[in-house]
Amino acid sequence: MDRVLEIGGFAAGYCGRMFVQAGCEVVRVAAASLAPSEHGSTALDVYLHDGKRHIQTDDLKIIGELADRADVVVAETPTAEGLLDLGFDDWRAPVKAAITPFGRTGPKSNWSATPGTLLAMGGYTYLMGDSDRVPLTLPGHYAEFQGGGFAYLAANASRLAGEENVIDVGMFESVMALSQFTTVLWTCAGEIRSRHGNDFLYASPSNLYRCADGWVYINITRDFWDALATAVDRPELVIDPRFETNAGRMANREALHEILDEAFASLSTAEVLARATEYRFPCGELKTFDEVLQDPHLAERDFWQQVDGAYGRVASPRIGWRMDGSSPRPASTSEREQRHG
Amino acid sequence: MADGPLRGVRILDLTHVWAGPLGTRFLADLGAEVVKIEAPMGRGPREFPVNETLGGWIDGGPGDEPWNRNAIFVKLQRNKRSVAIDLKTDAGRETFLRLVRVADVVVENFHSVTMSRLGLSYEVLAAENPSIIYVAMPGYGIEGPYSQRVAFGPAVEAMSGLSDVLGYGPDEPRNTAMALMDAVAAVSAAGGVVTALRRRKQTGKGAFVEMALHEAAVSFCGPWLIESQLGKPVERLANRHPKMEPHGVYPSAGEDQWIAIACRNDDDWRALCSVVPGLDADADFATRRRDRLEIDAVISRWTSHRDKCTAAGALQTAAVPAGPVNTTPEMLSDPQARERKFFVPLEPGPTSMPGNPIKMQGISSSDWTPCPKFGADNAAVLKDWLDYSDEEIDELERSGVIVDRPPA
Repeated sequence: MDRVLEIGGFAAGYCGRMFVQAGCEVVRVAAASLAPSEHGSTALDVYLHDGKRHIQTDDLKIIGELADRADVVVAETPTAEGLLDLGFDDWRAPVKAAITPFGRTGPKSNWSATPGTLLAMGGYTYLMGDSDRVPLTLPGHYAEFQGGGFAYLAANASRLAGEENVIDVGMFESVMALSQFTTVLWTCAGEIRSRHGNDFLYASPSNLYRCADGWVYINITRDFWDALATAVDRPELVIDPRFETNAGRMANREALHEILDEAFASLSTAEVLARATEYRFPCGELKTFDEVLQDPHLAERDFWQQVDGAYGRVASPRIGWRMDGSSPRPASTSEREQRHG
Repeated sequence: MADGPLRGVRILDLTHVWAGPLGTRFLADLGAEVVKIEAPMGRGPREFPVNETLGGWIDGGPGDEPWNRNAIFVKLQRNKRSVAIDLKTDAGRETFLRLVRVADVVVENFHSVTMSRLGLSYEVLAAENPSIIYVAMPGYGIEGPYSQRVAFGPAVEAMSGLSDVLGYGPDEPRNTAMALMDAVAAVSAAGGVVTALRRRKQTGKGAFVEMALHEAAVSFCGPWLIESQLGKPVERLANRHPKMEPHGVYPSAGEDQWIAIACRNDDDWRALCSVVPGLDADADFATRRRDRLEIDAVISRWTSHRDKCTAAGALQTAAVPAGPVNTTPEMLSDPQARERKFFVPLEPGPTSMPGNPIKMQGISSSDWTPCPKFGADNAAVLKDWLDYSDEEIDELERSGVIVDRPPA
C-alpha cells in the first residue's frame, strides 16, 4: 500500500485518516511552524490521527526528503504561499495533493480563512438560522473534512491510473461544489435561497417538530405527503385543497405547521418513528451526542472503533463506508505513540 | 464524457435524489464512464407536474420535455450517459446483468431491500461478474434496527448529533435544512469507490461496499462525540467558537448583510486591532473571552456601516480571517471563483453550476458533457458495451424495455 506523508491541519489530517483506514502507512509531520493556526484538541487528535506515525520536525530538508520518498504527499497550508515556503513544488513524490483555503491561484489565494469565513463566502451561512436573526455558521470542520475527502479521491484516482500528478484542492471550492440546489434556484428560477430556521421550505412540510418527549425532523416530498397525513391521523389533509400539492403546502405552510405542531405534541418520538416506519416517510429523532454514543443501531452494526491513549479508552466513529462487511480500521493503533525526528 | 484519471472505469449508476448522483458525478468529473440506469419513471411521468419542481427549469421553462429540464436533476448528471431500462421485466433485467458483466462498479442508493426484490442483489451481480464493485448507499445500512426506516438527509442529520451544537442556544436546536449529510455521504462514497478499485487492482477481488448515509453523518461528527467522552461539555454556541475569540457573524451595511470574522490566535487579534479602532491589542484569549460582548459591540459598530466585501478586503489586507456572508449571486460572481473558472455554464441558458473542486493535470471542464436526455444513450451503450445489433435494440424498444420518454 501507499506510503503517505501528511503535513498540515485538519483537512490534511482528515485525508490522512482516510488513508489510514484504507490500510496505508501514513506519516504525519507535526511541526510547530506547520500546526494549524487554530489550536486542535485531544478529541481531534484521536479522531484524525489514530494509527498514524508522527514526526516532530520543522526542518524543511527532512520534510523534503520524506516527501521525495513518499507515494503520496498531502500538504495543507493556510495560504498558497505557504506551500511554496514548504518547498512543495520541489518534492518528487509521484502524487502531491495541496489543500489550501482558496486554491493555489487567484486573487484570494493568500487570503486568511477559517471554517466560518469559508462557509460564509461559500454561500452556506446565509442559509442557516432564522430569517429574522443573525445567520448561523456551522460549527466544526466541514470545509476542511470535505476538502480532505476530495484530496483523498483525487490522490487515489491518480494512483489507480498510475499517473503522476499535482492536485490543487481549495476548501472554498469544496464547499461551493457541495451546494445543494442553491445555484440553480438562482440561475434557473431567479430565486435567492435564504434561511428559514429548521424549515427546509422547498419541500413542505419538512421541519423539526416538538413531540411529547423530544424532537423529530420529517421530510415530506411529494411522494410522502399522503403517508404523513394518514400517519398523524389527519387523512382529511390529503384532500384539503390548500395542501394538495407541494406548491400549495409551501404557500400555506404556517397553517400546516400549526396542524402538525398539534398532531406531534401529543405523540412520543418513539410513536412518531414507529408510524414513520410503518407508513414509510422520512423521519429522524433529534439526538444529543450522548444519545448517539448509546444508539442501539450503531452498536449492533459494530460502528465504533475503540481507541486507547493517555486519556483512557474512547469510542471513535469509523469512516462512512465499510468493505465486505467489515469496518476498515488502522493496522496498528500503537504506532501513533511513535515519535521520530 | 470527461477525461481524467478514472478513464476506462465503467460505472452503472442506479442512484437517485442527491447523495448518490452527487457522488457518481464526482467520479464522472474525474473521467469515469458513468452510465445512469434510469427507471421508466425515473424522471417523473410524461405529464410532469410542472409546478412541483423545486429549483426551476433549465433554459427558462419546462418546454416540451419537462423531465429533461428539471434543474435540480440536471445539475447532478453532467458527464454521464443515460440508459432508461425497465428492470422489472425479464429482458430488462437480463440486459442489465449483461452490462454488469462488463462493468467495474455498480452504485445504488435504494432502500436496503430494493435490489434484492429486483433479483439484483450483490450476490446475483457478483455471480455474473466476480470482480464487480457494488456500492450500496442505504440510509441506515443493510442491517440493524433502523434499516427499515426511510432516510432523507435532514432527518438523518438530526440523528447524527449535529443539532447538539448547531443553534442559537440551549433550547433552540437547528437543522442546516440543506441536507448537509447527503454531501458528506457523496464525498465519502466516491472515496469508497476509488479505495475498492485500488484494492481490486492489487488483489483482483471485487467488493461489496456499504455506505450508509447515517453512518457517514455520525462519522462527520466524530470530534464532538469523542469530546463528550473525554468529559468536556460540547455546547451549542451559536456563532461563537470554543477556541477562537472573537468569532462571529456581524452586521454590515444594507438589509440582511453580514460579514464573518474570526481570530484564530493572538496574531489575528492584533491584526484586527490594527484595522478596527477601540480594541485592546494586548488582550489575551482569556480576556477576549471575558469581554466578548463588548468586543463584539465594537466590531459590530465598525462593520455595520461598511459594505461587507469592502470590510472583508480591509481586514484581509491585515491578514485577518474575514469573509462576506455571500448570497448565491454574490457567490457566483466572487472574483476568486471567476478567476479559477469554478462555475461552469454547461447547460443551455444562464445555468452556471458548481464545477469540480479538484484541479489537476488531465482534467478540464472544456470536454465536459451536459446532462444527457432521458434514455439518450440506450443504443450507444448497448452497442459499445455489449455489441448489440440494431435488431436487438429495436426489439427492446418495441417491447418497452428501453425507453426514451417516460410513460404518460
